[in-house]
Amino acid sequence: MTTWRQRIHPEQLREVSLVVLIAAALLIFGWQIENFLSARTFNRIAASVAIVGMVAIGQTLVVLTRNIDLSVGSIVGFTAYFVGSQLAANNAMGAPAAVALAAAVGGAMGLVNGLIVAYGRVPAIITTLGTLAIYRMLLINYANARTVTVDSLPAWVVELSRQTLFSIGDFAVRPLMVATLAAVVVFQFVLGYTIFGRRLYAIGSNPDAARFAGLPAQRMVLTAFTLCGMLAGLAGFLFLARFGTITAVAGQGIELESVAAVVVGGVNTFGGSGTVLGALLGAFLIDLLGQGLLRWLGISEFWRGALLGLLILLAVASDAVILGWLRRLWRGGAEVDHDR
Amino acid sequence: MHGAPVLEMRDISRRFGNTQALDRVSLRLYPGEIHALLGENGAGKSTLIKIMTGVHQPDSGQILLDGRPVHIGSTLEAQRLGIAAIYQEPLMYPDLNVAENIFITHANRGLWVDWRRMYRDAENILSQLDVRLDVRQPARGLSVAAQQTVEIARALSLQVRMLIMDEPTAALSAHEVDQLFAIVQRLRDQGVSILFISHRLEEVFRIADRITILRDGQLISSAPRAEVTPERAIRDMAGRAIEQLFPRRDTVRERVLVQVRNLGRSGVFSGISFDVREGEVLGFAGLVGARRTDVGLALFGIAPADSGTITIDGRTVQITKPAQAMRHGIAYVSEDRRSLGLSLPMSIAANITLPTLHRYLTPIGLLRRRAEASAAEEYRRRLSIRAPSVEVEVSRLSGGNQQKVMLSKWLNTKPRLLILDEPTRGIDVGAKAEVHQMIDDLAAEGIAIILISSDLPEVLAMSDRVLVMREGRQAGVFSRREATQERILAAAMGQPETLASQVTEPSAQR
Repeated sequence: MTTWRQRIHPEQLREVSLVVLIAAALLIFGWQIENFLSARTFNRIAASVAIVGMVAIGQTLVVLTRNIDLSVGSIVGFTAYFVGSQLAANNAMGAPAAVALAAAVGGAMGLVNGLIVAYGRVPAIITTLGTLAIYRMLLINYANARTVTVDSLPAWVVELSRQTLFSIGDFAVRPLMVATLAAVVVFQFVLGYTIFGRRLYAIGSNPDAARFAGLPAQRMVLTAFTLCGMLAGLAGFLFLARFGTITAVAGQGIELESVAAVVVGGVNTFGGSGTVLGALLGAFLIDLLGQGLLRWLGISEFWRGALLGLLILLAVASDAVILGWLRRLWRGGAEVDHDR
Repeated sequence: MHGAPVLEMRDISRRFGNTQALDRVSLRLYPGEIHALLGENGAGKSTLIKIMTGVHQPDSGQILLDGRPVHIGSTLEAQRLGIAAIYQEPLMYPDLNVAENIFITHANRGLWVDWRRMYRDAENILSQLDVRLDVRQPARGLSVAAQQTVEIARALSLQVRMLIMDEPTAALSAHEVDQLFAIVQRLRDQGVSILFISHRLEEVFRIADRITILRDGQLISSAPRAEVTPERAIRDMAGRAIEQLFPRRDTVRERVLVQVRNLGRSGVFSGISFDVREGEVLGFAGLVGARRTDVGLALFGIAPADSGTITIDGRTVQITKPAQAMRHGIAYVSEDRRSLGLSLPMSIAANITLPTLHRYLTPIGLLRRRAEASAAEEYRRRLSIRAPSVEVEVSRLSGGNQQKVMLSKWLNTKPRLLILDEPTRGIDVGAKAEVHQMIDDLAAEGIAIILISSDLPEVLAMSDRVLVMREGRQAGVFSRREATQERILAAAMGQPETLASQVTEPSAQR
C-alpha cells in the first residue's frame, strides 16, 4: 500500500512537479497568447536555456556543497570575449581548440574561487562577490572598449547557433542545446553513479559526518568550484556562438539566472539534495515564464530581473513549506519516531 | 543556624520522555550558606538548577521564596527574584568592556548610557569582591577566572540573593580556585546563599556548609558537612539501580591489538596509557568533562594527539586524519549521531557505504548501487534495522534505528578497533539491549572495543576492564573483578585514599 511512497522521495517529486508546472504554463500561454506554441518560441527559449542551463549545472555542483558561485556571470562574459578575440585574431583555430580554451580559462577562474573558499576559509558568497567584480574588471581592461564582432569570427562559430542537427516537426534541434543536454546527462550520471557525486551530496548534507567518514572535504569543494568555472567557460563559448557580438558587459546577470534555475529546480540551498536535471527544468520554467509573461502582460524586459527575484523567493519559501509538509506526510506513512 | 530559608523546593518532580529526571526532590537554601550539590552524571543536578533558573518548569511540586510560593517562568523572572547562575564557560560579550559586561542586563537605565556612573558602579562592585580589574578593559583576552569574576559582579549588580555555581572551578588553576573561593566566602558573609556544584570532592569538603546528594533523580541525603565523609558521599552517589546486568561472555583473546602510551593533546588530556586486546571491551568511565571523548577523537585522528605513542600490531603509527585511522582498522561511532554521524537526507544504503565507497565500483569506476543495497540489506537484517527498505532516508528512522545505521556504517569498514562513544544515549530500552547484545557479539568476533559511556552500570556490565579518567588524566584502570561503582566514582572524583586497588600500568592479567 505504501510502496510508491517508499520508492519516491519527496525531493524527487520536485522534478515531477516542475514538469507539471511547465506543462501548465505552456497550456495557459498557448491559450492566451497567439502563436505562442510555435517553433520560434521554442527555439528562442532553447537557445537561452542552453547557456543558463550549462551554468546552472556548475552552480548545482557548488550549491550541493553548501556554497554559491556568484562570479559565473563574469566568467561567462570573460571567456566569451577572450575566446572570441582569439578566434578573431586566428581564424584558423578549430572548434576543439576553442572549446578547450574556454573550459581552461573558466576552470582557472573557478580554481581561484575554490582555493579561496576551501583553503582560505572565506565564505563563498563573499569570495565570489569579490571575484564577480574582479573578473569583470579583467574583462573591461582586456576589452579596452573594443567589441568582438560577428564578421571577425570564423564562419563555423556563428553557424553553431543556426545549424539544425535534426528537426522534430517544426522544432529545430540545434548544437547549443545538444551540448547542454549532453552535459546534463553526463553530470546527472556523475552525481548518481560516481564516488565524487556521492561524496558531494554527503559533504553538503552533513559536513561533520563527512569529515568523520574521512572524506577530503576541502578538495571536494575545490573540485566543485573548478568544474563550475569550467562549465561557465563552456557557457561563455555558447554565448559567443549565439550572439557573435561580444562587449564588456557580456553575461551580466547570468549569476542570478543560474541561482534562480538551481533554486527553482529544487536544489537545496543548505546543500545535500538536488539534481542537475532539476536545475535544467528550473532554467526552462523560468525562461518560459519570462517569455510568456512578457508577451502576455506586455511588460518590459526590465521586469525580468524582478521576476527572477520573485521566483527565487517563491521557490525557497515553497521549499521550506511544501517539502516540510511532504516530509511529514511521508514520515506518517513510514516509521514514527519512537524516542524523545 | 540561619532562621528561615531563602529558597525552598518542595517535592519537585520533572519527567523528560521516559526518564524521570527528578522525583519529589526537596531542598532548602538558607541565607549565608554554601550548599554543595553532588551527584553522578544524570543524577538530576542540571535539571534542578534549570528549574531554579526558570529554564524548565516542574511537573509537580512547589518553589517558595521567603516562604511564599513563586512561579519561575523564565531566566528573566529568576533574575528579578534574585536568582542568578554562573557556569563553567562564562557568558561574555568579548568586544564590550568589563563594566558593560557587568551591566549588560540592565535595560532600564534610561535612554543614554551614563558612562561615568557605570564605571563608578562597576568599580564599587568589584571592590566589594576585593578584586582588582580595569573596568574599561574589553572582556576579550580576560582569563576564565577573571571572566567568572565579571559574571559574579554581574549577578551582584542585580542584587542577587541566591547564586548557583555550576562547576565553576573546572577550568581554573589551583591559585585561581583559591581566589574564587575567597570571593565566594565573602559573598556568603554578605548573606548571599550559594549553591555550589563540583566534581571535585576535595573542593566540596573545603568550602561547603551543607552537602546534598542526588542519585537517579532522587534526594539521597542532605546533611551538614561535619556529618559527611568523602567515603559516605561516594557511597551515596554510587549504588545506582542496575536494571538488568547484561551477561557478557568471556571473549578476550591473547593478542594485544593496540598499545597506547602516554598519549596527550596539549591543554586537553595527557598521560593516557592502556592496552586493548582482541575481543576485549575496554570501558572509559568518568564524569562529564573528564575528556574521554577527546581520547577517542585523538585515536581516530579528528583531533590528533601531540604526544605519546599509539602502537597497532606492534608497529608504532601516526594518526593525524580519520582516513589514516580507518586504514589502521579503527572506527569511531560518535555520540552525536545527528550532527556528526549521519547524513540525514541520504538513504540508509548511502549512509552505510559512505566511508567504503571504493569497494562498490565497477572496473570503469562507477558505483554499483545494487551491491551497495545488498551490503546495506545485510546489515538491516543483522542489526534488525526497522525500515521498509534500505533506500529510505535516514531522517525517517527513529533514534534507535539511526544508531544502528551508524553502527552498520562503521562495522562495514571491517574495523579491528571499534570506538563506541555513548552508543546508547537517548535510545529506548529495547534498542539499548540490542546494542549491548551486539557489543558482545562483536567482541566474540575478535574486535577490540573501547566503550565510552557515562552510564556507569552500562560500563560495569559491558567492560572487561575499565579505565577511569578525571579532568584529562588517567585516574585508574580496574579489572572487571575490581570495578565497583564506588571505586570508579572515587577515582573519577579524585579521592585517592579510597583507591585501594588502583593499577597505574595497564593490567595484563586475564
